[in-house]
Amino acid sequence: MKAESASLFLQAQRGLFIVVLIVLGLLFFAALARAVKGPRVADRLVAVNMIGTMVMVMIAVLSLYLREEYLLDICLIYAMASFLAVIVLAKVYIGIYEEQHLEQERRKGRAGRASRTGLENRTGPDGGRAADSQTKPDGRKENGVS
Amino acid sequence: MSVGEWVRLLLGGALLLGGLLVFLIEIYGVFRFRYVLNRMHAAALGDTLGITCSMAGLMLLSGFRFSTLKMAMVIVFLWIASPVSSHLLARLEAGTNEQLGEHCEVYEKLETLEEQLRDGEERKEEAL
Repeated sequence: MKAESASLFLQAQRGLFIVVLIVLGLLFFAALARAVKGPRVADRLVAVNMIGTMVMVMIAVLSLYLREEYLLDICLIYAMASFLAVIVLAKVYIGIYEEQHLEQERRKGRAGRASRTGLENRTGPDGGRAADSQTKPDGRKENGVS
Repeated sequence: MSVGEWVRLLLGGALLLGGLLVFLIEIYGVFRFRYVLNRMHAAALGDTLGITCSMAGLMLLSGFRFSTLKMAMVIVFLWIASPVSSHLLARLEAGTNEQLGEHCEVYEKLETLEEQLRDGEERKEEAL
């Protein structure tokens, strides 16, 4: 009886781990699709960051499933490696962009750097706040009457 | 197996599946939002809450051992690393996108924003 319940416990634990691993694998491919699809470089890097996080959980679950504690060390090192990869890639892309930009500016001869502000479209916070300040005294009057 | 073991399994499994749910929401949000700076919001969800929940579940499942400390180390490391990488990715996007003004408000100078904020505050004080 005791052995039976023990085996049931182990089976439940293993089933839970298998289900979690399968779902994480599916999510992994969804994140990979985002990395392939993403229109900009930052999209892809965000997706790579997400994939890194998921793989960390997968490794940790696997370490309990296989009963191998050294896999958790790999998990820690994987966290550091994926963090470093994202940082380095972001820095590299910033550097590439700046290099291209400097070249273009040199060709143009520092002429006409297009303004990229969205300030013209802005109505400003004045409209909303002015309306607020008008309603405030009314509210007070009502309070005084009541 | 005692009752305590089963309770531990249930609690740990619930936390693990909760973390999985957070990952699901993360993927949904990443596909739903339209722009990278919005997507980053959804993607940071898994780095913090998702991995904290699932690692807490795994810590409960593994019991009190030395490996529990390693799992806690992963959480603490991601607490530090996730904001840094998010910040750098946002900087990459804001620095390299030429049409950033189409997606959000851009202040070319910080002074403009500060002036507008100060004006708003003064107006508020006058109204009071």
